Amino acid sequence: MSSPPDLAVDLGGIALRNPVLTASGTFGYGTELAPWIDLRRIGGIVSKSLTLRPRHGNLPRRIAETPAGMLNAIGLENVGVDAFLEEKLPALPDGVPVIASLFGTEIGEYRAVAERLSECDRVAGLEINASCPHVKAGGIEFGQDPGHLARLVREVRRATRLPLLVKLSPNVTDIARMAQVCEGEGADAIALINTLQALDVDVETRRPVLRNVLGGLSGPAIRPVALRMVFQAARAVSIPVCGIGGIETGEDAVKFLLCGATAVQVGTANYLDPAAALRVVEGIAEYCRRAGVASVRELVGGIELPAG
Amino acid sequence: MRAEPGEPLRARARVLENRREGPSHLRLRLAVPGFGGFSPGQFAMLSPGPLTPSRDPLLPRPMAIYRCEGEGAPDPVVEILYKVHGRGTAALAAAREGEVLGLVGPLGRGFPLPAEGEGAILVGGGTGIASLLELARRAAARGPVEVLLGARAESELMGLGDFEALDLALHVATEDGSRGRRGRVTALLPDALARAPGAAVYACGPTPMMRVAAERAAAAGRPVRASLENPMACGFGVCLGCAAPLRGGGFALVCRDGPVFDAAAVDWDRMA
Ligand SMILES: Cc1cc2nc3c(=O)[nH]c(=O)nc-3n(C[C@H](O)[C@H](O)[C@H](O)COP(=O)(O)OP(=O)(O)OC[C@H]3O[C@@H](n4cnc5c(N)ncnc54)[C@H](O)[C@@H]3O)c2cc1C
Ligand SMILES: Cc1cc2nc3c(=O)[nH]c(=O)nc-3n(C[C@H](O)[C@H](O)[C@H](O)COP(=O)(O)O)c2cc1C
Ligand code: FES
Repeated sequence: MSSPPDLAVDLGGIALRNPVLTASGTFGYGTELAPWIDLRRIGGIVSKSLTLRPRHGNLPRRIAETPAGMLNAIGLENVGVDAFLEEKLPALPDGVPVIASLFGTEIGEYRAVAERLSECDRVAGLEINASCPHVKAGGIEFGQDPGHLARLVREVRRATRLPLLVKLSPNVTDIARMAQVCEGEGADAIALINTLQALDVDVETRRPVLRNVLGGLSGPAIRPVALRMVFQAARAVSIPVCGIGGIETGEDAVKFLLCGATAVQVGTANYLDPAAALRVVEGIAEYCRRAGVASVRELVGGIELPAG
Repeated sequence: MRAEPGEPLRARARVLENRREGPSHLRLRLAVPGFGGFSPGQFAMLSPGPLTPSRDPLLPRPMAIYRCEGEGAPDPVVEILYKVHGRGTAALAAAREGEVLGLVGPLGRGFPLPAEGEGAILVGGGTGIASLLELARRAAARGPVEVLLGARAESELMGLGDFEALDLALHVATEDGSRGRRGRVTALLPDALARAPGAAVYACGPTPMMRVAAERAAAAGRPVRASLENPMACGFGVCLGCAAPLRGGGFALVCRDGPVFDAAAVDWDRMA
């Protein structure tokens, strides 16, 4: 019998036992799913995005199903960075890499959250959520403007020595450019995609389905768009890429690796099955066995493109 | 793996029976190995998973656990009573005997039972009726119980026969008058409150119904435990999609902090 495939990867300085993380906002603070999943068997956890102070979210209705996907407008609800450090983080088992996602409505808030998180050695890395509306820039997402994005990454980079991931907004025309901006400002890795801006309408009431009007689309419906963006971003930078979007199975994850991702995050699929991330890990191992792949790292960027 | 009583399982639930009982509602009987029991008002997330390889519909649907036979035994049977609304419940309705659904549950915090001898009044409308059968059964062992059920028409009164089989006083209202009093179920409440001045009051049904029930009971100085039916994506506190606004600001998660709440704590004006 052949030895089991080597699943370990390095994501911008974060050593992961396998390439499967859980996506921000889809796995709470990690403890909620403990009854159903052994956290030490997945690659790691990305926390719900954290702000300086606790925040309440939007009024209902906050979620709705769409074809093979869902819309959400939760509205930044989170416990705040202090409660995360004092209550949530200590409740997680040792040996589970925890990446803390952070955001703010201004760059100063991002920087302050990053500083607080960097004081704690239980945090393995930071992930900037760049899909947050920038209050001072009239509500446009930080990640939608290369200038804002560059300033944001630069300032947070100064505030932390932890491995720094930047999670990109897909609501842009040129994703490769955004990836390059992050690399240029010292990000250790990029993660993509966050949700796609979307809308649904109830024809009976003629109202938007979500109270917030616009929401973010996630789930299997966005997978081909996410793959395309990962493919384009990975070819534009030399830092590692973490692929996100509609991943439910090992084969879905392998597609992202082939398109250039070093690791992946599982999001909406956690709602369907709290052990979804573990099934993805097992599915990747199964693929490697079947395809005779000794290390998952061999798959990264291995897409075979037509000649010419 | 056997769950402790009430411990939430992630299980493959095999369909034993999925029988139409009215123009739009069905009774689903599921074999759920390891299911260790539940408290009344708790729910499960049911995903049609294997039935929709196209992942459309995608999300699991929250359903009250209607009752359970043989809990703690090797082969417990979980019963769900549900109404076909939209695409998810239509997919459930297509499930055949022997097919397997994903089930996560029991989830949430159920109804606190009335004190010994206290008595109870249960108000149920529409699909909310399904959350009340087990509560009615357990409350009836502790004191007198009055159940008030409402629907558009007699044929839409889910589980009526199961309530009739219990030792309690049953009152019905239908909007078309095909059974019981014509009108809404909440119209039955003031009389019930007067008949049973000490009884604990419980409600589950559409938001406007629960709101009116809460207001009528509050006018009589009586608190109400209401079980909310907000849309959910996960059912276990991680998506934050099910939030219910609280009076005085902030939100509670219906799946984790509820689905049962003190009706006076809910900000009904700001509910969806
Ligand atoms: C704790 C809890 C317990 C429940 N128990 C039962 C039960 O025992 N039996 C039962 O039949 N139903 C129950 N429900 C309601 C049930 O979950 C919804 O009817 C179901 O999710 C609708 O799915 P669908 O695919 O049919 O409709 P969809 O296609 O998802 O939606 C159809 C229409 O209904 C609206 N809608 C969807 N979900 C809800 C909702 N939860 N509340 C209000 N409007 C909604 C949508 O906006 C849309 O307009 C319960 C809900 C909760 C939260
Ligand atoms: C309900 C919900 C809440 C989310 N919250 C956050 C968040 O707080 N921060 C963030 O960076 N991404 C958030 N996301 C985006 C996911 O992390 C992920 O990027 C996106 O859903 C695409 O992946 P998926 O298709 O696997 O879900 C959220 C997604 C959903 C569905
Ligand atoms: S349904 Fe996801 S948090 Fe309640």
